[in-house]
Amino acid sequence: MPAPAPHAMLPEVAHDEMAAQDFVATLRAHLASRVAPGVARIYEHRALPRFRAEHQRDPADRHEVRRLMSTDGYYQFWSALQRRSQEMMWESVIEPVERRHGELVERARRLAGETGCGSLRLDETLEIPRYHTAVDIHLQPGGYHSDFRADDVAAGAIYDTALPIYLGGALGARNDALGQILVGYLRARWPDIRPRRILDMGCAIGNCTLPWAEAFPDAEVHGIDVGAPVLRYAHARASALGMPVHFSQQNAEATDFADGSFDLVVSHIMLHETSAKALPRILAESHRLLAPGGLMLHLEIPRGDTPFEQFMFDWETYNNNETFAGYMTGLDLPALACRAGFQTEYCRIERGGMDMETGQKNYGDHEFTFPILVGEKPQAVSASARA
Amino acid sequence: MSDMPKSGNTAALPRVSKGKRPQYFADPATDKLLSMVVTLMSELSVTRDRLDSVERLLAHHGVLDQSEVEGYRPDAEAAAAREQRRAAATARIFRILDNELNETLGPDAPRTYEELAREFAADPSERR
Ligand SMILES: C[S@@+](CC[C@H](N)C(=O)[O-])C[C@H]1O[C@@H](n2cnc3c(N)ncnc32)[C@H](O)[C@@H]1O
Repeated sequence: MPAPAPHAMLPEVAHDEMAAQDFVATLRAHLASRVAPGVARIYEHRALPRFRAEHQRDPADRHEVRRLMSTDGYYQFWSALQRRSQEMMWESVIEPVERRHGELVERARRLAGETGCGSLRLDETLEIPRYHTAVDIHLQPGGYHSDFRADDVAAGAIYDTALPIYLGGALGARNDALGQILVGYLRARWPDIRPRRILDMGCAIGNCTLPWAEAFPDAEVHGIDVGAPVLRYAHARASALGMPVHFSQQNAEATDFADGSFDLVVSHIMLHETSAKALPRILAESHRLLAPGGLMLHLEIPRGDTPFEQFMFDWETYNNNETFAGYMTGLDLPALACRAGFQTEYCRIERGGMDMETGQKNYGDHEFTFPILVGEKPQAVSASARA
Repeated sequence: MSDMPKSGNTAALPRVSKGKRPQYFADPATDKLLSMVVTLMSELSVTRDRLDSVERLLAHHGVLDQSEVEGYRPDAEAAAAREQRRAAATARIFRILDNELNETLGPDAPRTYEELAREFAADPSERR
């Protein structure tokens, strides 16, 4: 696991705290590389033959696979251990954050005040969507939005230290690999694009927002999220790294930005943490915010191709409080984007990826590329907003 | 770990997430026991890492040979610190039991994944 690149907001971790985090990383790598692939073999050699004998056919979808597998002893152990590893991941990163809680809040205040990089705009009246408050998404106690003291940044510090453990360091030393993938995709596909204003929806700690500010230093870069503590952390983190980004607490379903005010609207693994009602609204809002000639890019978590793969990716839906993620399986996102205002010939799914080892993929050794929902808003007449 | 002194007026951060914990085995006791076993593995791993650090440092500085460790008896202060550390470790290992309390007694008793998945996947046009 590559060591996280230090910055002023990362909590210092004591010897035993580090050892506890190291253990969780080792446990998860073991489960991903040695136990999860076994689930696929058990399915093929034990569960599937049993199902075929009984029904004279293969399971039709991920739900049938799940019902079949949930009684299998090997799967039960993997699943129970995977759940426990996720809980222990949070426990191991909360420990050092709690011990330095006051100091971290102070540090964030100082960084935000002193260096004054970019800006931070919070909205105490913003209603946190129920899809965040009903349960704690991916088991992070308190989620992205809970404050445990004034000017809290704990949720941000916790998220920043957990990400490297969650995906075995695959997200890179700055937790920004998904942002880099999307920037890389844009660069390869539209080499001449020069966006003047960029919006990152569901930015959390700004980990994937910063690659956009780096790639387009002349652009005005905005990040929005519903969670106040992650945004405070994001602002302090960006300030510590000298990156001017404008963070504001807003719901991506309805922002206060003017029509056509962005050339680029992006998100990184946000859509699957919303709801069937919110998703079309977020796509419609993306369309409203784009200037003619602008581009929408939403990067998502893969959901698998076969019913078995889909069942494995779906583990998080039923075991990790990603209650909406399963709904995204096989969902026709371009069709949704069209209903939200984009024109059919201007939206599609593309893919972006990175090199990952089996031990980093969590759910077995199948293909792991990230779907990207692309939506272009064509030029009105001739003006060249994107040149 | 949690046995260390905390800086300033730090509010406790929750360790248990909101939401129903799935049951993996026919007997829920198995779920709890497995959870405890993995946590114990962590405790052991942390201890071994720490011991390894200490032994390497001591050897590096030529401070001590192994027989001294065998003969050591803690004084009152060291004994109290050990007791605190043991209590914190025990609390961590049995944290899984908090879940049950939480689910039974919590103010908003958590709902199942199935219920929530249905709610969030409901066709928006029907919810108008
Ligand atoms: C899995 S995190 C991804 C964070 C970051 N983009 C990354 O790549 O690591 C999803 C983020 O989306 C935010 N989010 C979810 N729904 C949102 C909404 N309706 N409006 C704004 N932010 C939202 C969450 O608060 C959370 O910070």
